[in-house]
Amino acid sequence: MIKNNSRYNIIIIGSGFSGITAAEILADYNFSILLIDENIHFGGQLLRKIPEELGEYPSEKQEKIKRVGFNFIEKVKSQKITLMNKTILLGVYENNEILIEYNRKKTFSLKYDVLLFATGAREKFLPFKGWTLPGVYSTGMIQVLMKSSGVLPARKMLIAGSGLFLFAAAYEFLKNGGKLLGIMEQSPFWNKIKFFPQIFHQSSKFSEGGRYLSKIYFSKVPVKYQRHVIEARGEKSLEEVVVGKIDKNGELIKGTEETYQTEALAVGYGFVANIEAPQLAGCQLEYSQEKGGWIVKVNDSMETSQDNILAAGEITGIGGAQKSLNEGKIAAHSILQKFGMEDKKKVAPLLEKLKKERKHHMSFVKCFNSLYQIKPKTILGIPDDTIICRCENIDMQSIKNAIQMGCRNPNSLKIFTRCTMGQCQGRICAPIIYDILQILCNKSPEDIGLFSVRPPFKPVTIKALQNIHES
Amino acid sequence: MEDLRINSIKRKQKIKLIVDGKKVTAYKGETVLAALIASGYKIMRTNPVSHKPRGAFCGMGICFECTMTIDGIPNTRACMTEVHEGMTVETNDQK
Repeated sequence: MIKNNSRYNIIIIGSGFSGITAAEILADYNFSILLIDENIHFGGQLLRKIPEELGEYPSEKQEKIKRVGFNFIEKVKSQKITLMNKTILLGVYENNEILIEYNRKKTFSLKYDVLLFATGAREKFLPFKGWTLPGVYSTGMIQVLMKSSGVLPARKMLIAGSGLFLFAAAYEFLKNGGKLLGIMEQSPFWNKIKFFPQIFHQSSKFSEGGRYLSKIYFSKVPVKYQRHVIEARGEKSLEEVVVGKIDKNGELIKGTEETYQTEALAVGYGFVANIEAPQLAGCQLEYSQEKGGWIVKVNDSMETSQDNILAAGEITGIGGAQKSLNEGKIAAHSILQKFGMEDKKKVAPLLEKLKKERKHHMSFVKCFNSLYQIKPKTILGIPDDTIICRCENIDMQSIKNAIQMGCRNPNSLKIFTRCTMGQCQGRICAPIIYDILQILCNKSPEDIGLFSVRPPFKPVTIKALQNIHES
Repeated sequence: MEDLRINSIKRKQKIKLIVDGKKVTAYKGETVLAALIASGYKIMRTNPVSHKPRGAFCGMGICFECTMTIDGIPNTRACMTEVHEGMTVETNDQK
């Protein structure tokens, strides 16, 4: 167990692809390294599998990139890196200090020489009537349930939202014997076609996509485009879902409603970067629609605007595993340079090659994120009695009223309505509130700005904070 | 109640949880959320503002919709907690 007030040469936040890659490289040198992750298992959202202690999954050919990632995890586990799972980052402070909580029991104040944020991304959601009903799940949740615990969300399910991730979730559900009622894609079909030339440059993604589509095709699952979830209905939990067609501007076409009887609905509308910790650390952020919204600004060595803080992976632009792998490598090598530990002859050509690869990944990022644009008319079409902030039950009407009263930025909206003040601290609703503010105030994302972030990032018990002054 | 576990996975160790005073079967390595969903639980808590039932939503520690009292610690995310033999779980479903 680690000691309070310890100092580490390198602290890495997050063990997803970029974090684990950086750790794997840095482990070969004589550093004190701490790698923390909030999850039970290391590997982030992509590198998930049925845990050994749970049981055995019939073998399936794993994609190459995943094999690489799982090997990194095994290697890092066998080395002298301090690994902490079930550990939450609670705060980032001046003088290279961070506060973490382990397993809901203890907190530790720690110092770092270099901090690497590899905090990844989360799903984005488009609120609709009844999305708070039990039985409405995120596409990520159903993936995690199946991949990490071997449990189906339900026997029968409908999938709705936008992007390739819907198809990945559908594939996993069908593979495990679920009955899929349909895939309701928000964006038009031609949006996908635009994507194809890019996909050829990323051959691994192409074969992945091909596998999903053939499974869905042969399972005769209806895939409908330009479909929008109007309402999820049910007494205590989900019973039926109403879906309608939207035109090319994102506006609902009356009379196109269809009802699906289902106890489970999975929804997902793309991804947003987990920027909260870097934001509090004072790292400069930037808004880029093509990189997936608000992200951490980095130079080509993955350095943020703050001294000795680097960022890698999805938080610098939503782009998937290959990009995260590349950025994890770059970050590790620029950390080696910081400590003067690099092999001077080898590092320069290697970094040059990695940086060239990164440019290639960034062009994929642009295309990938263009798939997820929610049309302004769709956002304006959210009915007034739809809950936007799930924790505090703030509906669209309250948000609109507050904007009309003069709340023109996130923080004033928060003070007036209590939106984002619940347990999730705005992680679910903030991205859509930014969109609502932009559209209703007719201002740019930069003019709207961001909700302020304060520690603790996530709820912590007073009991867990008690030991903070012990050494 | 129907079991939603994927049956092509050979599970190793069966364990018992006490959920709202009732015995629930789970398997070592599952999360509390997975064990509850597998046994047919849908409602995880009652929202303190609307007093309406809520289920799990993100399943990966972000939304806090599956928070419940686990081994006496309140507001613990079921999706981020592994099961163990004899674990006591009190959902926040206030019926």
